[in-house]
Amino acid sequence: MSSEPLNLPQGWEARWDAQSSAYIYIDQSTGQAQWELPTQPSYPTSHHSTSSSAPAPAPAPAPVSRPGRRHYPTAQIQQMYAGGGYDQPPPVQPLAPGYGDQTHVAPQFFTPGMADVQQAQIPQGQFQQPAYGQQPAYPQEKGVDQMTNQFQNMQMGYRAGATYGDQKQLHSIQTVNLIGMQPDVRGLDSPPPAALLAPNAAVTQSPHIQPDPSYQRCTLAAMPTTQSLLNKSKLPLALVLAPYRSVREVDDDMPVPVVEDSVIARCRRCRAYINPFVTFIEGGNRWKCCMCGLSNEVPQLFDWDQRENKPADRWGRKELNHAVVEYIAPTEYMVRPPQPPVYAFVIDVSQSAVQSGMVATAARTILENLDNLPNADKRTKIAIIAVSTSLHFMSLPPGSTEASMLVVSDLTDVFLPKPVDLLVNLTESRPAIETLLGRLSDMFQEPQVGNALGSALQAAHQLIGKIGGKIIALTSCLPSLGEGALKARDDPKLLGTSKESSLLNAASSWYKTFAIECSKQQVAVDMFLFSASYTDVATLSCLPRYTAGQTYLYPGFNASRSEDAIKFATEFGRVLSMPIGLEAVIRVRATRGIRLAAFHGNFFIRSTDLLALPVVPMDQNYVIELQLEDDVKATTVVIQTAVLHTTCFGERRIRVITQAMPTTDSIAEMYGSADQIAIASYLVSKSVEKSMTSSLDDARNLIINKLSDMLTVFKNQVTSSAGASAQLAVPDNLKLLPLLMCGLVKHVGLREGVSIPPDLRSYAQALLTTLPCQSLIPYIHPIFYSLHNMSPDAGTVGPDGHMVLPPALNLTSERLERHGLFFIEDGQNMFLWVGHEAVPRLIQDVFDLPSYAELTGGKYTLPVLDNPFNQRVNNIVAKTRELRRGVYRQHLYVVKSDAEPALRSWALSCLIEDRMDKMGSYAQFLTQVKNKVSRV
Amino acid sequence: MGGEGWLFLFAVLMAAVLLFTMVFFIIMFSDLECDYINPIDLCNKLNQFVLPEMIAHAFLTLCFLLSGQFIAFLLNAPLVGYNVNKIMAKNHMYDATEIFRTLSGHKKESFIKLGFYLVSFFYYLYRMILALISESD
Ligand SMILES: [Zn+2]
Repeated sequence: MSSEPLNLPQGWEARWDAQSSAYIYIDQSTGQAQWELPTQPSYPTSHHSTSSSAPAPAPAPAPVSRPGRRHYPTAQIQQMYAGGGYDQPPPVQPLAPGYGDQTHVAPQFFTPGMADVQQAQIPQGQFQQPAYGQQPAYPQEKGVDQMTNQFQNMQMGYRAGATYGDQKQLHSIQTVNLIGMQPDVRGLDSPPPAALLAPNAAVTQSPHIQPDPSYQRCTLAAMPTTQSLLNKSKLPLALVLAPYRSVREVDDDMPVPVVEDSVIARCRRCRAYINPFVTFIEGGNRWKCCMCGLSNEVPQLFDWDQRENKPADRWGRKELNHAVVEYIAPTEYMVRPPQPPVYAFVIDVSQSAVQSGMVATAARTILENLDNLPNADKRTKIAIIAVSTSLHFMSLPPGSTEASMLVVSDLTDVFLPKPVDLLVNLTESRPAIETLLGRLSDMFQEPQVGNALGSALQAAHQLIGKIGGKIIALTSCLPSLGEGALKARDDPKLLGTSKESSLLNAASSWYKTFAIECSKQQVAVDMFLFSASYTDVATLSCLPRYTAGQTYLYPGFNASRSEDAIKFATEFGRVLSMPIGLEAVIRVRATRGIRLAAFHGNFFIRSTDLLALPVVPMDQNYVIELQLEDDVKATTVVIQTAVLHTTCFGERRIRVITQAMPTTDSIAEMYGSADQIAIASYLVSKSVEKSMTSSLDDARNLIINKLSDMLTVFKNQVTSSAGASAQLAVPDNLKLLPLLMCGLVKHVGLREGVSIPPDLRSYAQALLTTLPCQSLIPYIHPIFYSLHNMSPDAGTVGPDGHMVLPPALNLTSERLERHGLFFIEDGQNMFLWVGHEAVPRLIQDVFDLPSYAELTGGKYTLPVLDNPFNQRVNNIVAKTRELRRGVYRQHLYVVKSDAEPALRSWALSCLIEDRMDKMGSYAQFLTQVKNKVSRV
Repeated sequence: MGGEGWLFLFAVLMAAVLLFTMVFFIIMFSDLECDYINPIDLCNKLNQFVLPEMIAHAFLTLCFLLSGQFIAFLLNAPLVGYNVNKIMAKNHMYDATEIFRTLSGHKKESFIKLGFYLVSFFYYLYRMILALISESD
């Protein structure tokens, strides 16, 4: 083999063709191949028209004309896999229909059984204009064994590539040294390393065959072939997914394509859904499953347009072009007819709840959102139970404007006082519901101390259990009566000791047992907790955890503070109007050899690979650990997540997310393809689990150990510089992982300290395990802007139509200036830090106050003033509120740099690169990790 | 047959019963792994047997203590202690929400107990035969 020709123009790749003993040059953007050395660089383009304008490459000496020997230039084989017919000369563009300008292409429809006839008409080796060039051809007749042969050829090519490093695409590894360097925090937004699939891995060339990382991402974009390799690399293998992600215009999200004709092609053996990574065989009549290798029949109507009643183009099918698709499921996928959305509100009306204004705010928010509740087909049902020392059922007869109340004081043996009118159709009983909500708070003015939440939840469960749905519980004090009564157990002496983790676990098994009951009956529970004192979030959050709900905490809620009322009303309103999926199960399937080892998130694990979610909320994150129980033999592995659910408009649907990645047997390639955000997300879930099963100390150690293990392997195996070193080397794609881990160790959910209330810890842990990556990353590594000296375009709409934000700063108080105005945000709260030497002009412009002395810290609503600086600050606050997926609306706190020490140190605790109490700075964290790395 | 013979005959039977309980547990766990049973039913089923198993074993140990069979007692005491510790920590019952995370631990425990009951079974059998022989002499 001659040496590789160097200095190819950009976008070209050289491949050695053993048969003709010459290089073939491949244009990587179009897949075009030629024998001559290219001179012009090539740039990726999606326009089909380039093929006509591009210089016509010289035709390859058609190897097909030597039928006796089935050897083909690699490039041609590549192309055949990539989409060109094997009986085509190389210069054909492998483009799938629908992604280029195809006006000049006669549409080719595929009809089962017709394949052979159609293809046979084309003489072999003839230069055909697009006819088949636009579609992947099927091997047929002798094609099957040719295929095998070619496949072997390819294997050879692959091996040669692995040996000489010039064929298989690999991630380039750049080593970055961390010690003494300030991390570049802007890199947190960069996309994960791409999965470098072979050009022939998919049957279509659609740009959407890989899911957006916000739906599903894997810690590694190259799958190791054996478990021992994975163990040796110390890298975690996990899937981070948010399959029911919201579709937002701000993020330029594409709506999920829906396959409407209910033709669902699935593998008979492993039940995988057809996807872009399958192979069609036997003239396109059968497809080979990419997970288990079974050959399956293509459904009869797969190539038939049922709406137009004519043959359709197979290559235009959404499931072959998109990684994320939704199927409308036929009746076989239903256990019962699609149920309506059902909401049961359990509202605490004890003294503290009424006095804090929670009841009034909640009632008003429900009232305002009655139109926003998912109710497209007018089937939505609603029930309201008020609870204090007894249960107050609300009878809401349809058509009447009067609501009546039925009180049940038997808390041990809960029964429904009336068979009808307690769970009512929202549309029919609308007048009664409105009347009730209008005066709910006034009905409970006489003080009642005590809360029988558990019994009320049981009652709500009895009420909606037959249908399933959502219980939304709002409570303002610790459940003290009836079933599931709890005691305050937040002994301050336990804080900071190894026993602290007992406070993070459920105090009573009642909540777990009840959660299982709920999950069985397709009931989810959302918990809204408002309390001035201990509410035992750890125990109450069990219900949302195992029923796929969510916990919301409003510590010290007081509706007379408008910020509190707005925050709660906004978030509650978003929860109510969220288009939820009902009666859902999530199943993850993967190529043979891969096993799901553990699950993290809010759901009930019903079997080794099936998660039950009575209601799928939007933008909730799940982490699934993977193992390799057998060696992976395939060159491409596929991981497919299917969410079977009932939409709130009464359709049974299956959302399928398919992700593919190449396999590798090199540790270097694993490191080069590692995704720091996904690894951080995995370590977050893993460490929270550890803090509950073991102790917070162990959780923090787990983070540091996992990190130093990874960096040790990287140093010894990839950079091969064993021995002590003054540096800490990381691959470029993981360079922010240590920073994120430093943030996680100092996060309120895991931080060392004796003064963190267990409620806040538990709540932070609930968020850590459920926030999608987009919100999780700022939650452990907040964003930090300097506002007083931001560039003139910051806070205005830029030329691309998006709001320009100031550059993110490193999270260190070195950046704080005495005269400055700074902005810190972690997805849950934001802080406006005002330096005590801030000029009066700045204070006047932003807060409309004469001087710094007049300003008071705390929760704040920024005034909207008629000056550009105020508007830009307001724009940045508004844009930041809009930035994150999820229901949360951040509180805005004004922090004065020389007053309110508690607030001040809270804001400073966001600056994670600094020292904080006992927790060292980022530099110290790195030294700690480096020492562990050197010791090995 | 004297007291010692009867005691060990009883012990042999108990050990056999406990042995079968463990086999049942292990079968149920592998059923869970193969998805033949759901975690809720599994836990409901197994939890019925957890306390009876512990009580039966503790009763047998008590019998050894009262009849002065100290070797047999010492053989069983650690397991009684382990069980009591579990009950005190309130984690002796199987939890359906955690079962998949803790499954490998449960399986390991069941296998160790299975081995222990097997060894005790043969030990009791041996002692029973010894007792019978010494009586017939
Ligand atoms: Zn299959």
